[in-house]
This record gives sequence, structure tokens and C-alpha cells, in this order.
Amino acid sequence: MTGGWERVEPLLSHVERPARYIDSEFGAVHRDDASYRVALLYPDTYELGMANQAIAILYDRLNAVDDVAAERAFVPAADMAAALRQSGTPLLTLESALPVSSCDLFGITLPYELTCTNVLEALDLAGIPLHAADRADADPLVIGGGPCAFDPEPLAEFFDAFLIGEGEEAVLDIVASHRASKAEGLDRAGTLLALAVVPGVYVPSLYEPATDSSFARPRAGTGVPPIVLKRVLRDLDAVRSPASPIVPFMDVVHDRATVEVLRGCTRGCRFCQAGMVYRPVRERSADSIVRDALGQLRCTGHEELSLTSLSTTDHSQIEEVLRRLGSALRGRAVTIGLPSLRVDAFGVAMARLVGEGARGGLTFAPEAGTQRMRDVVNKNVTEDDLVATVRTAFEGGWRRLKLYFMLGLPTETDDDIRGIGTLVEKVLAVAREATPPAQRGGMRIAVSVSTFVPKAHTPFQWEPQLTLDEVRHRQQVLRESMPRKGVELHWHDAEVSFVEGALARGGRELSPVIEHAWRAGGGFDAWTERFSLRRWLEAFEAAGIDPVALGSSPRVVGAPLPWSHISTGVSEDYLALERERALAGTPTTDCTFDGCTDCGACPELGVDVILAGGSRG
Amino acid sequence: MADATFRLRVTYGKTGRLRFLSHLEVAHSCERAVRRTGLEYAVTQGFNPRMKIAFGPALPVGSAGLAESYDLWLRRLVPAAETLEMLRAATPVGLAPVEARYVGDKEPSLTAAMTLGEYEVSVEDPDMGPGRLAEAVADVVGSGSFAIEHKGALKVYDLAICLPEGAQVSEEPGRGTVRMVIHMGAWGSLRPEALVREALGRMDANAASVAVTRVLLRPEEG
Repeated sequence: MTGGWERVEPLLSHVERPARYIDSEFGAVHRDDASYRVALLYPDTYELGMANQAIAILYDRLNAVDDVAAERAFVPAADMAAALRQSGTPLLTLESALPVSSCDLFGITLPYELTCTNVLEALDLAGIPLHAADRADADPLVIGGGPCAFDPEPLAEFFDAFLIGEGEEAVLDIVASHRASKAEGLDRAGTLLALAVVPGVYVPSLYEPATDSSFARPRAGTGVPPIVLKRVLRDLDAVRSPASPIVPFMDVVHDRATVEVLRGCTRGCRFCQAGMVYRPVRERSADSIVRDALGQLRCTGHEELSLTSLSTTDHSQIEEVLRRLGSALRGRAVTIGLPSLRVDAFGVAMARLVGEGARGGLTFAPEAGTQRMRDVVNKNVTEDDLVATVRTAFEGGWRRLKLYFMLGLPTETDDDIRGIGTLVEKVLAVAREATPPAQRGGMRIAVSVSTFVPKAHTPFQWEPQLTLDEVRHRQQVLRESMPRKGVELHWHDAEVSFVEGALARGGRELSPVIEHAWRAGGGFDAWTERFSLRRWLEAFEAAGIDPVALGSSPRVVGAPLPWSHISTGVSEDYLALERERALAGTPTTDCTFDGCTDCGACPELGVDVILAGGSRG
Repeated sequence: MADATFRLRVTYGKTGRLRFLSHLEVAHSCERAVRRTGLEYAVTQGFNPRMKIAFGPALPVGSAGLAESYDLWLRRLVPAAETLEMLRAATPVGLAPVEARYVGDKEPSLTAAMTLGEYEVSVEDPDMGPGRLAEAVADVVGSGSFAIEHKGALKVYDLAICLPEGAQVSEEPGRGTVRMVIHMGAWGSLRPEALVREALGRMDANAASVAVTRVLLRPEEG
């Protein structure tokens, strides 16, 4: 079965960056004779999607299954989408250039709320009915997963099913279930019913819709679980990192070899969805990290290695790992990246181990400007920590520093915002002091401020979101409080955050809003230059929903939420307790350092914390 | 002082789908292929060490090449035939190396040396009448100069310098091939496709498909 490429090829002379559409990369897997075909879509362009670890892992896992082919698909850029439509060519997979609509399963990862319009764009380009209810037996099963699947309701109309949680094992179960249904000759309804009993799978059509006042409940007679518990991989070492992932030709985001050194983070920042939904912490062993990293570098030829996770320098064997990798890679012009650093001397020491000096920049995330505010969000970093760490770094030769903060956190006052400016000023002074005068011209201090968006399954899930006017006021306070010289200030677009907030905690009533926004020309809404607040406001209005009320009114603890039928293992009682502790400014410790905090994840999921070195600290 | 290195000249193709790669994408992909071989490559000195590798003149996105080249400096002498085997195994088919040989370290760089490019431009258009392509190309070439607009500025090529041997056209019903040698230098590098497109424009055949292949890169004689 070929033919698709002949339709794509003539279009490529007329579009930008054709390397997005040509396949053939080293490591791409072609299984033309497979009888079961999965298309895996990242809902953005190739260069963003190729950085996605979930797609890389699932591609690797599925292609290892007998008679199964997993292929990639991305959302074509606007020029290519127009060329496809004009030539009557549907969205094709890269590897075999077969129509996505001819695949058995269409898996879509959902990394970020605002990629939702791209999901519809992909379905439409593929020629698959947008609404799950309109699909026929011959259409692929459309299944979503990833971070946004933890509140699946806004996209429920468009998906046949969602996988909640980690996919390494679950995708194999899903494919096995679907193949068994095909072998039995089940129709679509029967197939979905069978799929709904696979642990971690949520089939929205089998549940009465959730709205902003009630969550989805099983339809009578379906026998599906009332609460869908997320899937979790018990032991990260049970699944090797992809040995030879695809090596892109073109420059992509995060173009490097990647080994996930640990999953989960229990530092307990109360705004952080990832920290709550990927519990518990499971570390890969030093031996397997080193083995997988060196193997992947050998197989791919990458010149950069990233050791990823939510808190890499917390790994109990990180120092050993970095020393072993450093000596194995000496003289090969390979750089090692650490995505997140602890705000302490240890973090700087680890950066030194990978940097062989102070070439790159350092990034820290104090998140808030005052100790009070940091206690509210449970960011266990003091001003003294930060100042001392910056001094160590600049005395050690570093000249570039990036600091992350959040604006609009619960209980925030203008004084807290001014505290960001004061803290940055102190950091700047210390950095200058620690830098010889002749080198001060090379100092670069960047401050990046995002707007807090309350997310489902966090202790702040009940908190109101700031109105647009309020965010703008606070951004103004921030601007005025920042040192006038020596700092580059960046902040997140308030309008984008506003829509993100409305979508992040909605129910199924948002499906028409998303559809309207897409039909009105939406797509690539995660790209600031393509985002239009007006288009979204019109979409909300057309659906009769007030996005301000949706985001800005506080929710009552104990009342049902649109995602109450989805469980991450962390109990709602724990989230409510954490909220109370936040409002009281009481910190909570990290269970991987100081013992269990009773969040509920381990017993509920039947798994344990795994620390490769036995303990942290 | 750096240790002794060995300069390996690798000739490779840029064919099939991979003709849609840009020069930077080709260079990056070849570097990664070298890393995959396990060959001990030399690394540049300085702040940001990189593999010591140098490429010949760039080919634009969409153009194929049959004999493109790069020079790679190795820290250990490995028989050239062996390096070719290793590189072939580690490179995507569309960029497959066809030859590897050692060259003297004093030889000029590929971009300085390889100033002549032999091109074949295939044109397909079912409506193309016999002899018309040859006539239109002769018309363009005969004018003596060729101007194109690039990023808002007009660039004029002197065809006596850029196209020292003129252009040869062979035709069959519905298709034709234009062969030409382009002389690259400080004045830039005339794109064969632009010249052929101009000829097609003059014969009202803008819809024709055009495929460019650089068949050979060579130094000037003498």
C-alpha cells in the first residue's frame, strides 16, 4: 500500500521547511506489512512534536509488538494544510504515507490546553468525523492521552476514549483489546465497551456528561468503573529508554538524546499539576541511566544529552551518574543538559560537573518574591538559599542566569509582587559583586514571569483565576518594581493564560466552544502570533458560556468537579488539606526526603516510591 | 599544539526525498552519521568544541546532488575503504556516501576548490512542443546576462562568467533536459532552476515541473 507520497511530493516545492514532511530519518520504523496500524499525533508542528518524549516512548513500545506498526503524524503548518486541502490530499502518516483515517487507532497526545484547536484541525484534515458519535465502524479509534487527559471533559465530544496516566503498558493493553474486538467482529459500540474496562481507559460516551456542576457518571447498564484510576508504571527500569529514537534532519526543539532519569516529583509545589498527577517518585538506577544514555548517543549520533525529569538534581545517584557519563564522554564534544536545578550549592555543583566550567546559563525557579508567598505555594526555597546560590555560581564563573516567577498566585498582594522586584534586585547586586568589574558587561539576568492558572488535581483546583484586568494591573506593579537596568523581563501573555484557565477546569460544555473557535479559524493557538482572544470570546458567547465566571468564581471544596471521576491516586482530602495549609502558610515536606505525607498515591495505585540509591538527602 | 589529524574527503549523494533538505540540515545529518560510526573525529579548539568537518558548496532545498562532498578530520588513520563502509551503514540512504579518500592537509578547502558545478535540469510538461525548450533556453542564455530578485534586491549574473559553457538541451515529447556548468565565485552562485524557470516563463509553461540535480562538482582546470 503506497501512493500517498506521490501526492505529497509535488506540494513540497511550494511550502516552507519541507523536511517536516519527508520521513526517512535515521531511526524511523517502516513496517509495511503490519496488519494493525497506529497513527501517533502530536497536535503541533513536526519541530515541536519531535521533542515529545511520550510520542517517542509509545512509538518505540508499539513498534516492538508483532504485526503492529506505529507511525507519526503532525499538524501541518498553515501553508501545507492549505496545499493538502486544495489538492484533496488527506492527512497522511509520515512513515507509510497512508491516510491517518485508514489506521486502526489514532492516538493523540494532549500536552497543553491550547493545542485543542489543532486536534480538530488534524481530525478534519484526516477526514475523520470530528464528533466521536458520528464515527463509523471503519473509522479509527481516536484516543487521547497526556497531561490534558486528566481533565478530559472539554475534549470529550471529539474522542472515543482517553488514557489516563502513563502509557508504557497501557497502550499495549489498548491495542490488545482493540485487536481482540476486531477478531470477534464487534461493532464500534461493542469495541468501546470492551475498551472501557481496560484499566486507565475512560470512554466518555459511556458516561453521563460532566458539566461545571457535576462530574460524569456511568450510564446505566454499561458496567464501566465510576472512577477511572490513572495508569502508572511501577518501576521505570522495567521499560528501557528508547534505544534508537528517530534523529530529525531539521532543527527541532530539544534536538538531543534524552533519558528520563526519574518520574514524579514530591517537592509538593501546590500550583504544579505535574507534581500531583505523576506521583509517586520512581528513579531509574544509575546503571540503566548510564547504559541508556551512552547507547542512545551511539545509536543516534546526537551531540547533546538531556537527563530529563521534573527534578533531575534530586535523583539519589545523580552525582555518580554525571561523573560516569562525564568520563565516558570526554573528548567527544557531547554536552549534557540538566533541565532543572535545585536552588542550592549542590545544584551548582552538579551544573559544574556537566559543564566542565561555566559556559551555559543557570536556571532557577523561586516562583515567588516573598517568603510568605513561597510558603503558600510550598516552594521550599529561602531568599538566603537563592542569594547564596547565585553568589556561588557567579564566583564560579557563571554569567548568565534565568529566574522563573509566577504572578497571580492565591492570596498574592501587591507587596508580594513588589517582592519579586526586590528579590531580583538583591540577586543582581550579589551577582555583580561576585563578578570582576571587567566581566560585568557579559552578565545576563533574565526574569520570566508566567501567570498562575489553577489546574485540576492540584490543591489550588478550587481557587479562582484572576480576571484579565487584574492580571494587567499586577503586571504593571511588577514592571514598576523591577530594577531599571540589568534585567531582561519576559512575561506570559495574559490573554492566553485567561483562555488556558477557562479550558483547564471546564466540563463537557466546552466542546462546542472549542469547535466554534476552530471553525472560526483557530489553530496553533499556543503560538502567540496565531492566538486571538476575540475569536475565543466569540466562541464562548456562541455557546452561552461566560468564561470569566467559569475561571474566576471560586469552587466549593467537597462539591463535584468536572474531573471528579478521574483519579490520580492522590486523595481529594489531601488536596483540600494542602489547600488549607497553603492558606495558613504552612509548608509540607517531600516524602522522598522526610517520610510519607499521606497523599494517598502509593496505596491507591498499589505502587511504592523507588529511590535508586536507597535514600535522598 | 593539536595532535596529527587525517583529512578524509567523503563524496555523497543527496537524492530522493532527501533533496528537500537544506544545506544546514544535510550538514547536521552527516555530522550525526559520523558520530554514529564511532570513528574518532577531531574536535575544534576553543570555547565551544565542535566536530572538525567542512562541507562543499551548498545545494538549495529541493535540488538533488550525485557527488557532494565534505572533508572530515580524523584523529586515527582508518583505511579509507573501511571508513566508507562505516559511513554507509550509519547514513540514511538518501545521503549515502559513494567514495572516501584521504587528501593532503594543505589542499584548498572544498568551497575554494570546487567552483564548477555540472547540473542537469529535467523539465516535464505534457503540453511542451518540440524544440521550444531549446529555443527558450537559447534565448535566455543568448541575452548575455541574467537578473533575479533576491530579498528585494536585484542581482545580475554575467552569463559569460557564470555559464562558461552555455546550456545544452535535449528534448523528448513532453519533457526535456537542460545541462549546464555553473561557475561559482565571489559573484555568487547562479541557480540553474531560476534560469530554466525564466525560459519556461517565456514559453508560457509556468506549470511545468522542474527537477534539478547537481551531477558533479569539480575544480577549474589548469
